[in-house]
Amino acid sequence: MSTAPLEVEEPLTDEAIGTDRPWLVIVWNDPVNLMSYVVYVFQKLFGYSREKATRLMLQVHHEGKAAVSEGTREKAEADVARLHAHGLWATMEHPS
Amino acid sequence: MSPRFDRRGEAVVLTLESNEVELLRTIPDEVRDALAEPSSKDDPVHNRLFPSAYLDPTEESAEQEWQELVHPELLQGRLAALELVSATLDRATTKRGRAEVELAPEEVEAWLSVVNDARLTLGTRLGVTEDAESEAIDPSDPEAATHAVYGWLTWFENDLVETLLG
Repeated sequence: MSTAPLEVEEPLTDEAIGTDRPWLVIVWNDPVNLMSYVVYVFQKLFGYSREKATRLMLQVHHEGKAAVSEGTREKAEADVARLHAHGLWATMEHPS
Repeated sequence: MSPRFDRRGEAVVLTLESNEVELLRTIPDEVRDALAEPSSKDDPVHNRLFPSAYLDPTEESAEQEWQELVHPELLQGRLAALELVSATLDRATTKRGRAEVELAPEEVEAWLSVVNDARLTLGTRLGVTEDAESEAIDPSDPEAATHAVYGWLTWFENDLVETLLG
């Protein structure tokens, strides 16, 4: 009688983790864009409530930046393009 | 005095003094110049209007692909907005010395986009800081007139956004 071999889970490689980890879309503070305009853009592009859009705008204003959306590389690239179309300074990053 | 922006359902009625119309007519050309391909890769205004998506230098090829994909679209959208703004100014009617025009929702978006791009352009050129609004303009500054235009556009845009946010 033999025992069933123990199932050994393959250790997750960095790459495997990387594919699941979402990309973050970052909006940076700048001296030109109006606080009211930034709230308007967050509501319009992401469908956020006034409260959530205002909270994110204040985070950008006080902390210099905020992650405003996340997702696959493709989604992040599309969100960055939409933010740039509205004149916001946005970048994307993959946190390690 | 009637409000500058008056919501009428989905539309917004814009009312302007004749000197404001004159000033706004100069804005599309100002923005069009800023959108043109710059002579230097380090043009701060152009880089502000078209920033990079990736900060990570190891993503250089992704950045390049992304730029090739979206830059023509972003440029086209901005140029179309300039045309819409000029067209709405052309069809404004004058009542008691003031110009009035009703803007459809996509025209309102075009106005917002052009005014914001104009502020990004002038603000970057002037090197404005967050405290600039509270500072009085120095009349001896050779850029005093540009500062005044920037300040007026700031006030104009804020009024428009407040109207849209309701």
